[in-house]
Amino acid sequence: MGTLHSLTLKIHRYDPEQKRSWVQEYKIDVGGMLRFTDVLRKINQEQDPGLVWASSCEHAQCGSCGVVVNGKPLLMCELLVQNAIRQFKTTIFTLKPLSIAPVLRDLIVDLAQAYKRVHKAKPYIIELAEAPPEGDELRIPPHVMQRYVEATRCINCFCCAEACISSHRNFLGPNAMMVNIVRLFDPKEKAKKERLDILYGDDGVSRCHTSEACSFVCPKEIDVAHFIAVGKQAKFY
Amino acid sequence: MIRLRINSILKKDVLIIGAGGAGLRTAIEILNRRSGTTIAAVTKVASPQKSHTTTAQGGFAAVNPNDSMDKPIYHMFDTWKGSDCSSDQNVIKKVIESAWEQTLWLDNHGMHFTRNEEGRFSKRTFGGHTLEFGGGPSAFRAVFEADRTGKGIMDTVWGESLKGNVSFINQSIVTELIFRDQNCIGAIIFEEAKGEFTAVLAKATVISTGGLGQVYKITTNCRQNTGDGLAVVLREGLPVMDLEAVQFHPTGIVGPGILASEALRGEGGFLLNKDMERFMEQYAPKMKDLAPRDLVSRSIENEIREGRGVINPDHNLPHVWLDIRHLSDYVHDVKLEEITGFFKKFAGIDPKKDLCPVRPTVHYQMGGIPTNEFGEVQKSESQIVPGLYAVGESASASFQGFNRLATNSLLELFTMGKFVGDRVGEYLKHAYAPGDMPKTAGEKTFSLFSRYFETKGTESLGEIRETMREMMTEKVGVFRNEKDLDAAINQLQEFKERSGHISLSCSSLVMNQELVDRWELDNLLDISMIIAHSARNRKESRGAHSREDYPYRKHEYNYHTLASMVEYGKVRIGKRPIDMSIFEEKSKDYKYFDFMARKY
Repeated sequence: MGTLHSLTLKIHRYDPEQKRSWVQEYKIDVGGMLRFTDVLRKINQEQDPGLVWASSCEHAQCGSCGVVVNGKPLLMCELLVQNAIRQFKTTIFTLKPLSIAPVLRDLIVDLAQAYKRVHKAKPYIIELAEAPPEGDELRIPPHVMQRYVEATRCINCFCCAEACISSHRNFLGPNAMMVNIVRLFDPKEKAKKERLDILYGDDGVSRCHTSEACSFVCPKEIDVAHFIAVGKQAKFY
Repeated sequence: MIRLRINSILKKDVLIIGAGGAGLRTAIEILNRRSGTTIAAVTKVASPQKSHTTTAQGGFAAVNPNDSMDKPIYHMFDTWKGSDCSSDQNVIKKVIESAWEQTLWLDNHGMHFTRNEEGRFSKRTFGGHTLEFGGGPSAFRAVFEADRTGKGIMDTVWGESLKGNVSFINQSIVTELIFRDQNCIGAIIFEEAKGEFTAVLAKATVISTGGLGQVYKITTNCRQNTGDGLAVVLREGLPVMDLEAVQFHPTGIVGPGILASEALRGEGGFLLNKDMERFMEQYAPKMKDLAPRDLVSRSIENEIREGRGVINPDHNLPHVWLDIRHLSDYVHDVKLEEITGFFKKFAGIDPKKDLCPVRPTVHYQMGGIPTNEFGEVQKSESQIVPGLYAVGESASASFQGFNRLATNSLLELFTMGKFVGDRVGEYLKHAYAPGDMPKTAGEKTFSLFSRYFETKGTESLGEIRETMREMMTEKVGVFRNEKDLDAAINQLQEFKERSGHISLSCSSLVMNQELVDRWELDNLLDISMIIAHSARNRKESRGAHSREDYPYRKHEYNYHTLASMVEYGKVRIGKRPIDMSIFEEKSKDYKYFDFMARKY
């Protein structure tokens, strides 16, 4: 093992049956290469098996482990202890669940609720634009795909929605907007009018205040604000 | 004391357990054949989009029948040889012949396949894929979406399922299958967020719960891959097949085990030992770093054993190096952006300048719930369980045999999903009606779960699980021998005994992760026991199953292992023959489909 770091974690907890919230403090010594998911697992094993948190793939491809650490929404699985200490300049970390959906218990929120906003943006081809050549693939020049493929990397972790200053009530949110914007670019999508209605609807891009917090926090380093800006200007070419 | 009961009953035409790529492809095909079919899809994660399929990186093997160089028959040969002559040829033929058509389906339903300058699918090469029955050069036959092909597939089937109104039951586990008159008529599910048990009654039930990687300490598999579907099937007295065939991917990132795709070697990366030697040249003179995964994994383990590995100080794990420094900036920054990013994020190194630490990591199970080529679950070599289907990594038809080639898993889960959907669609025309819920439904579940709440003791759930995973890695890992396997079986018995003395700290049913962990521990223990017994029984080396005491493949073991659990530690072993239909048809290239030595 390399050097051990003594961490203090202040974790916001919630018991759905007692409807009780509290902050619980854990102290733990860990190596710098451990991820925050590893740290919580260690707490489960050594101190408190009852602490509940979400994760799945644990390498930033599924977006299940978003929480707010010292005010910043991020994925716990890609936050190495040594990087966290460097980035936040402290060994004391406050962990809160995302506020984009109701808390189920401790750090787990009801992502199914949050996903309803993505569903509204229709994450699929509504209608295929043209029939492909028989037995063959559609021809799409790479420079055309270049304009939007970056946005398809989004994993719906909702970190951008958490950071967005206008995302909680009447904005579908940056990630949901990107789902729609991808298909506005995509030559395979025929239903552009329906897509524009989503984009410019009541809960569409007009709600965005251009804080660009989305790009700042995106764990996949997608320039979300760029795609939102493109949407505002309808520059899908 | 908590009273456990079935809180509600849900009636659907089809129940899909596990909403990943395979399960949802099945759902979509059912809807395609019979629109209006009511389908419930249960997933353990928070949304189907978060399924483990989404983490698959490299590609989807598919030969365009009009290709001037590559041919489907070459792909069939590679798959047969790669499986160490242990996959079923009827399944190989069926899957590979429909591969191209299925990639077009994906493209036409919105997947963003990477294109070349002509606007056509780009292709890359992977280990074990060759032209001209191994005589030619490497085959460029995998289509892909950058290094997130699985995500492209997952997003597409998830989107199409939303469009088709599949009802999703998120964050839930399946704890028991429901039967009447030998027909499967649904399952009991536990909805974690509500803390409630629901009986889903369905005409057809499809198990697609994915892998078992969490049996091992270092794995690319997600936290949820605890082999749940296999364990549930075993508890119903049904067999599982070929669980001794566990694939170790050669290049997991030290230490979390995250996958560094074979695409890195496909693009020109190579392995080095402590002395900076390209050691794969000795183990596979021809294919070198692109030899199949089992071979590369054994080579790395061997280098480490003979003292030519490197020890990582942070994780205290031995490893070798993957050198990709010489690859172009375009490969680093665009083509394989996600993967090179993993090294930066999880190992704190810059793969443009530094060597990358890698070691074998558990990646895939070739075996699974035995099915025929239509995905119908088998209770024996010749009998099926009506109404019950399995597909994807949790199933074994068997396309992969004893070793899977890269890019053959996305291919299999997707095409088999289509075939199973076809079959379920047919079955629904005259399906056995589930009727009312049988009185005994839920008994197995409640006996397990009430025991979890009632048992008291000082054993630690986390400690038992981690010790078990280390033990399995050490004794039932890349290399196996009789002494270790015997010891493993004894230790598993001991872990099982100790697990009876775990007290849960929280007695709530609502979003109780500890309760689910406890149930998962039972699944892991059961499956580990089957793996150990199946490996012990197979006194030979075949594909990913490598016995130090029996280093060669033997003719007498040319069969699939069917293993069922009589009681904990007592495993009954049966056999299923290997289908040799391509060979037996004696058509043009049949001679390439006989048993052969596997050299690369």
